[in-house]
Amino acid sequence: MTTYILRRLIQTLVVIVLLSYVCFYLMTLMPGDPVELMIQSNPKITSEDIARLRDLYGLDQPAYQRYGSWVKTILSGDLGYSRTYRVPVQELMGPRLWNTFYLSFLSLGLSLLIALPMGIYSALKPGSKVDYLVNFFSFGGISIPSFWLGLMLIIIFAVQLGVLPAGGTETIGVSDSATNWSILFDRMKYLILPTLSLSVQQIGGFVRYVRSSMMEAMRNDFIRTAKAKGLERGVVIWKHGFRNALIPLITIIALSFSGLFSGAILTETVFAYQGVGKLVYDSIMANDYNVAMISFIISVSMVLLMNLLADILYGFADPRITYN
Amino acid sequence: MRNLFIALIVSFSLALNAASKPTNNELKIGISQEFETLNPVIMTMVASSYMHYAVGRRLVNMDPNNKWVPQITKEIPSIENGLAKIITEGGKKKIQTQWEILENVKWGDGKPVTCEDIAFTRKVALTPTISVGEKETYSQIERIDIDAKNKNKCTFTYEKAKWDHYTLGTFYLLPKHLEEGVYEKYKNQKEGYEKNSNYVKNPTNPGLYNGPYVVSEVKLGDHVSMIPNKFFYGESAKIKKIIFRIIPNTGTLEANLRSGTIDMISVLGLTFDQALELEKKVKSENLDFIVKMEPSSVHEHIDLNLDNPILKDVRVRKAMATAIDKDQLVKSFFDNRQPASMHFMTSNDPWFTNDPKFVTSYKFSKRTAAKMLEEAGWKEGKDGYRYKDGKKLSLVFMTTAGNKTREAVQTYLQNQWKAVGIEVVPKNEPGRVFFGETTKKRKFDMAMYAWVSSPENTPRSTLHSSSIASEKNGWSGQNYPGWKNARMDKLIDDMDLEFNPKKRLELAWEMQKLYTEDLPALPLYYRADNAVIPKNLKNYRLTGHQFSETNEIEKWSLE
Repeated sequence: MTTYILRRLIQTLVVIVLLSYVCFYLMTLMPGDPVELMIQSNPKITSEDIARLRDLYGLDQPAYQRYGSWVKTILSGDLGYSRTYRVPVQELMGPRLWNTFYLSFLSLGLSLLIALPMGIYSALKPGSKVDYLVNFFSFGGISIPSFWLGLMLIIIFAVQLGVLPAGGTETIGVSDSATNWSILFDRMKYLILPTLSLSVQQIGGFVRYVRSSMMEAMRNDFIRTAKAKGLERGVVIWKHGFRNALIPLITIIALSFSGLFSGAILTETVFAYQGVGKLVYDSIMANDYNVAMISFIISVSMVLLMNLLADILYGFADPRITYN
Repeated sequence: MRNLFIALIVSFSLALNAASKPTNNELKIGISQEFETLNPVIMTMVASSYMHYAVGRRLVNMDPNNKWVPQITKEIPSIENGLAKIITEGGKKKIQTQWEILENVKWGDGKPVTCEDIAFTRKVALTPTISVGEKETYSQIERIDIDAKNKNKCTFTYEKAKWDHYTLGTFYLLPKHLEEGVYEKYKNQKEGYEKNSNYVKNPTNPGLYNGPYVVSEVKLGDHVSMIPNKFFYGESAKIKKIIFRIIPNTGTLEANLRSGTIDMISVLGLTFDQALELEKKVKSENLDFIVKMEPSSVHEHIDLNLDNPILKDVRVRKAMATAIDKDQLVKSFFDNRQPASMHFMTSNDPWFTNDPKFVTSYKFSKRTAAKMLEEAGWKEGKDGYRYKDGKKLSLVFMTTAGNKTREAVQTYLQNQWKAVGIEVVPKNEPGRVFFGETTKKRKFDMAMYAWVSSPENTPRSTLHSSSIASEKNGWSGQNYPGWKNARMDKLIDDMDLEFNPKKRLELAWEMQKLYTEDLPALPLYYRADNAVIPKNLKNYRLTGHQFSETNEIEKWSLE
């Protein structure tokens, strides 16, 4: 097992390095660069200014040299400097990554809490009224555009009822004057609407996955045998049915966890939530390489690590899988 | 349990605060654009400078009446008041100006603002390792000599004797007493200064600001809070706390306003159509807001690529201008709130003229436009489009994809030109590609976008032939149509060196004459700035130019 994990970690590292170069190279192919943005906002910039800035930023060097300099900076422990926001990347991204994590984790947790029992119940009673109702809401959740749902939630809860804030991450100045409890309450208040908006879509998707995997598992011969043996219904469902339904679910859930730090650009933008999603989008659009590359590395690492975790969990779910 | 109870009370009271009418205790301003660090030498984003007006003051500034006024200085130097004189050094004509900073101008920590701060700012801006965008503002000042007896007095020597020398005083100052240490430590390190500047590491240090407010809290991507500067030299600020809050989605700005998350929407907020829509709701629902609109210096136009064989012919360009019903356009799309434009200057520019002696106007007439095209050799074919030597009169019309207003105007113009036999094929691109590649490298037939100009601004970067973007000059010019007019070049060159305001006016009028006669671009309309303010906000005035209304923020009051 240890050898297997070590081997996979080394593979992961190689993939990150290769993909980071590919990504860096692709970004250099995009039209425009940080200097272009300066030209657009200030027509007074001269050709001398342009040449000077390109030299200063290293934009006149070939992609592999720029990539080399970027790797050198990263290895020295410096994540670089955001040319858009004019601050070090760690200072810019740190708090936003955590905000995104809180939002994504809460919505994922809520979605799983609701979707798992709903999906299982629906799978056990196919064709029932509850099943139809669950399916109706699942498809509804999947189909509703998240920005529209976000707007509706704001109009109902912030404008009409006035019980929740329309946007933001926390009440400005709350940390100066309040206790830890009130700060926590305040943060939660700002998380409710974006979490709801994100969860509705996720719940729909998860319910469909859980329902189909569980139905598939419950159709197996060994379930019929277990029932014939007179095993209790709970044991049949959880020990034999659910455990066998877990393999596809582990894949889906692990992949969902890999997006914990990637951000939800639409939700974050609609709710003016200070997360990493919009920051990454803006950094790619503005060719802010350092910010974009760090977020890319985080995303790739999370996907690879969560896949590794899923592979390990398969072994626990199904003893027939070994790592030799 | 007790803590939990207090928490609930605080949360509840915060919720109540959010919904209440704004008072002089706090004003929350919504903006939809991101901002960067507030180091005035480094910053380039519009939102940053919008906010910086509240915390920084400069040598000179343009007021809402489009007049240059001294800010932290006693007087603007001019030949007339004797504070400016033309000298000859090394056989070159130069200008020397004397500036004097007001005695009571102080940084937010009580330290006086002196000419040493000006000289230090120039030194920082001209350092090669620091990524300052446009250095010309600083490099045109050849040297600064500080009076040995009075540090508030200094003499600038400019490398060229230009009439608009005083407008170079629009740069903000850096506090030497705080920033010099950082600068000396990191000046040889590439981008070392900007990474370690106090504006990044300690942005709430009041000594960094000399405006009516100082920054009390910064959260990049979320908000900036400001409190009054107790050492401000001018009128004391009335509002005790100003918060600039980012709401990136303009579609939710209104909801945030109505729910009390913000108290007003700045000029960097709603699009024009959103503002018009909100204005209707404000009236019909009798909401406690006022929607303000003011024609701005942003000019929407269509650049015509003069390298295109069809557009090279001025008769075709004139026919295209004649085929557009601009009055109908501004009426149906903008409710007449964004006026039609005649040329590149805005009506509030002192150099503007609409005198028919100088300006050729193109009155809408399909018949005249068709006649012009006939004369240019473009004959109508069976399909309704025009042909010449077997070639169809067809042009590609580009603009930024996703901009609803531009796309609607594009369709309107396409139909108008179709009516006179011109085929226009829309091809829109994301802003990044459109500005980063297409316009920059002049890969278009027709490109619709906007320019921002300031009053009394020589159009060198957009109309001088030396500003035609090419590979040779690193695609740096903004004369995207590729207009070459020797007379216009001379007028622009002469304008820089003309100290007589009357003669400058004549030069400006002739520029407008040449532009409207030759039509390197099709003028469309002037955009309007808009803002939504609470009804009880007094002394708020939109400027219509890039020196934002926050320049007078100390006068605002919520009564």
